[in-house]
Amino acid sequence: MTFRTIDELEAALRGADYLPDRGLATALFLSLALEKPVLLEGEAGVGKTEAAKALATALDARLIRLQCYEGLDVSHAVYEWNYPRQLLHIRAAQEGTVSEEELFGPEFLIRRPLLEAIDSDEQVVLLIDEVDRADEEFEAFLLEILSDFQITIPELGTIRARRKPAVVLTSNRTRELHDALKRRALFHWIGHPSLEREVEIVRLRVPGIPERLAAEAAAFVRGLRGLDLAKPPGVAETIDWAQALAALGREEIDAEVVEQTLGSVLKYREDIEAVRDETLVGLIEEARATAR
Amino acid sequence: MQGSAIVRHVVTFGRVLREVGIEVGPGRVADAIHGLDSVDLTRQEDVYFTLRQTLVSRHDELELFDRAFVAWFLRGPIAPLVRQKDRRRFADKVARDTLESGQGDDEPEEPDTPHEVGASAHELLREKDFAEMTPEEFERVRRLMAAIARTRPRRTSRRRSPDPRGDRLDLRRLCRKSLRSGGDPVEQTWKARKTVHRKLVVLCDVSGSMDAYARALLFYLHAIVGTGTGGEAFAFGTRLTRLTPDLATRDPEAALARATELAIDWGSGTRIGSSLAEFNTVYGRRALSRGAVVVIVSDGWERDDPDLIGREMAKLARAAYAVVWVNPLKGNPEYQPLAGGMRAALPFVDRFLPGHNLRSLEELGAVLAGIERRHAA
Repeated sequence: MTFRTIDELEAALRGADYLPDRGLATALFLSLALEKPVLLEGEAGVGKTEAAKALATALDARLIRLQCYEGLDVSHAVYEWNYPRQLLHIRAAQEGTVSEEELFGPEFLIRRPLLEAIDSDEQVVLLIDEVDRADEEFEAFLLEILSDFQITIPELGTIRARRKPAVVLTSNRTRELHDALKRRALFHWIGHPSLEREVEIVRLRVPGIPERLAAEAAAFVRGLRGLDLAKPPGVAETIDWAQALAALGREEIDAEVVEQTLGSVLKYREDIEAVRDETLVGLIEEARATAR
Repeated sequence: MQGSAIVRHVVTFGRVLREVGIEVGPGRVADAIHGLDSVDLTRQEDVYFTLRQTLVSRHDELELFDRAFVAWFLRGPIAPLVRQKDRRRFADKVARDTLESGQGDDEPEEPDTPHEVGASAHELLREKDFAEMTPEEFERVRRLMAAIARTRPRRTSRRRSPDPRGDRLDLRRLCRKSLRSGGDPVEQTWKARKTVHRKLVVLCDVSGSMDAYARALLFYLHAIVGTGTGGEAFAFGTRLTRLTPDLATRDPEAALARATELAIDWGSGTRIGSSLAEFNTVYGRRALSRGAVVVIVSDGWERDDPDLIGREMAKLARAAYAVVWVNPLKGNPEYQPLAGGMRAALPFVDRFLPGHNLRSLEELGAVLAGIERRHAA
């Protein structure tokens, strides 16, 4: 599937239950048009990972996800040889009849996400999630793959992408990524959505939620973000919370229900303690006034 | 015709961005032009995002970009940009001035063979308090710091490489070698984990009382950041400022001048507690401190509430691998950590060290190289 305009892509993303703002739609559109990876940065919970998933749905493409972590290496990200099978194969064959080429052939190769994405005939969206968690050495390796879209396996040779995957990288900025990697990618910073958009997102993701409740929940979370919290809630938290409120059959928020359910919005004890009593009442009043 | 007008427009805009300090290479400009090809040029929003996403690659450059975009395409007021440039010039000027006054005529070559006299002079210099050094002595000490900076805390990486004394079988090599023996692993191949540098984060107090020491430690930090192995440096006074980019590129004197300018409101005291809080919220949330060795350099004199320091130190200690506090006052044998802030912080400090002379920096280097986590996780 291809999109000729940003509007077309935006509509397709909406069709995948994702409401991008214009900036994000532009970033994803350019990434497809220029065949370049796009790096999405932003606070936790603003929907970076979801954007990649929605893009895959919109493109009707297969989503391949590589979750990064410290110590991630080639054998978990690209490929690994299936050693037990190799050893059994040597044993089972007649002595001296197994050649090295046979032993290190495609049959014994375990394909990990990056190889899978490069060596695919169908359209693929490759999501490299939280790339800032991986070691810098791995980043250098990634750079190689993302610039040439090819992978070299010493025993098999070079595998070139027949069809370039759409690549989405996400980062929470636990550290600054290497400049060379950034040069290869388009960059988009995702901020928290506007109030109207967040209400729209909640109503889309929590079907049947009373309009009033969606608006109040979004406005309340927005108020929380204005406080000095250890972890300000993202859109994901708003959705979780709205779901909880809707499940309780609420039409509106009040101090009692907010206190009961605050744990799905704020994840740190210090934060929950900071939002007590007058602060809480103030935020609720404000949210109810905004939503009116 | 319209196409070449766009090209010229974008190329010039790229130059404007470079002038305000955003690094824009030819590849990025080409991307921008290519990108504009495929969007609707009559929609200002789309043009804005296309340029931003292709030309900018860092979050902290977005504000500069926005100002340049407003000034260039929307013909808005350009004033804020000029201010930014002035500040840089000012720092450069300070750097030049301090350098020129700091150096003598042709500074004498350091004698390669110190012999007795030289050696003992050397020894004296190592013991001398930074605050009492002449500019010339300081210059000599500077060179020694680079050597100390190379000893850095390390951690075990999760990657493995071939090692005959390793603790895991290297199956890839084992399989290949077993071919010859019909699947029997006659020759065993092993691999082991390598060690890599552990993250090092240094928070340096640059308030008036720390002047001489902060300068010395900044040279030390400059040497660490210069090794390119993941050192992060911050300065604080009344506010917190990230120093790493400055230390990576410019002269440490200029970085210090800039840090002092940004981190201190003259006339109000040091605020360790709120600076730590800022660090924990802004950088701690981005997990900069997780697993890192955090070094705080300060004399512990401050105006904040000691309770705040205690709370923020507790948060920091939870995330960090180890916390080291360097206090130049500790160089005095009479010193007792009685200042409220210092007392509140100590329970969360793994190592408490002086940092008043070269010898104590060597000690710091040694501690960092062999540091182990002492506090309970």
